[in-house]
Amino acid sequence: MRVTVGFYSWFKDLTGCGRLTETLPAGSTVDELLQRLIVRFPELSAAQRSTLIAVGVDYQDRRCVLKEGDEVSLFPPVQGG
Amino acid sequence: MKRRLEITAEPIDEAVLLRERSISRSMGAVVYFLGVVRGTEAGTNISALDYEAFQRMAEHQISLLFDELEKRWPLESVRLVHRVGVVKVSEPSLWVEVAAPHRGEAFAACQWLIDQLKQVAPIWKKPVAGDSPLATGL
Repeated sequence: MRVTVGFYSWFKDLTGCGRLTETLPAGSTVDELLQRLIVRFPELSAAQRSTLIAVGVDYQDRRCVLKEGDEVSLFPPVQGG
Repeated sequence: MKRRLEITAEPIDEAVLLRERSISRSMGAVVYFLGVVRGTEAGTNISALDYEAFQRMAEHQISLLFDELEKRWPLESVRLVHRVGVVKVSEPSLWVEVAAPHRGEAFAACQWLIDQLKQVAPIWKKPVAGDSPLATGL
């Protein structure tokens, strides 16, 4: 299955891109996606623990099972207000 | 509960927001908060903050906060404006207003909303130094 991944804030600088498409085995979880991304972008590893993850417009934990076409967003702790 | 949410790159115009206030006779308290950019960030002098938002998600998450507000307090209305892009020191980046029958619930609701916004809204800020090209363009 294919999912799109968006990076926000300084994660864009870490990865050198704002958005990419990743192909995963069906039934993959957010954590499995994250581990693939860390292999691809080792700089993400240091931020792994504080990384926030959304699927669509909702926060999800790393056990969330992804499906075809999901939009996954990765970003650091938020700083609004 | 009436709701208004804007995440905008336009400067926050307080005068317009105040003129547009509309409350019913049964409301006895309006509390509003203006967040402005401080001149220091982590102990360093700055000239501005550059705000970035994941807009679609920020709108959704703030709407969820509005849903929770409505469950917790008898508010008549809530309005929230968050600016994005480069915001100079002392300029407003956030405007929040609630209207309620009494001041206790108005103060509590406004504080809660801002505290929650800071925890869940996918918005980030990057300091702009005084000698940055972003600052000289201001």
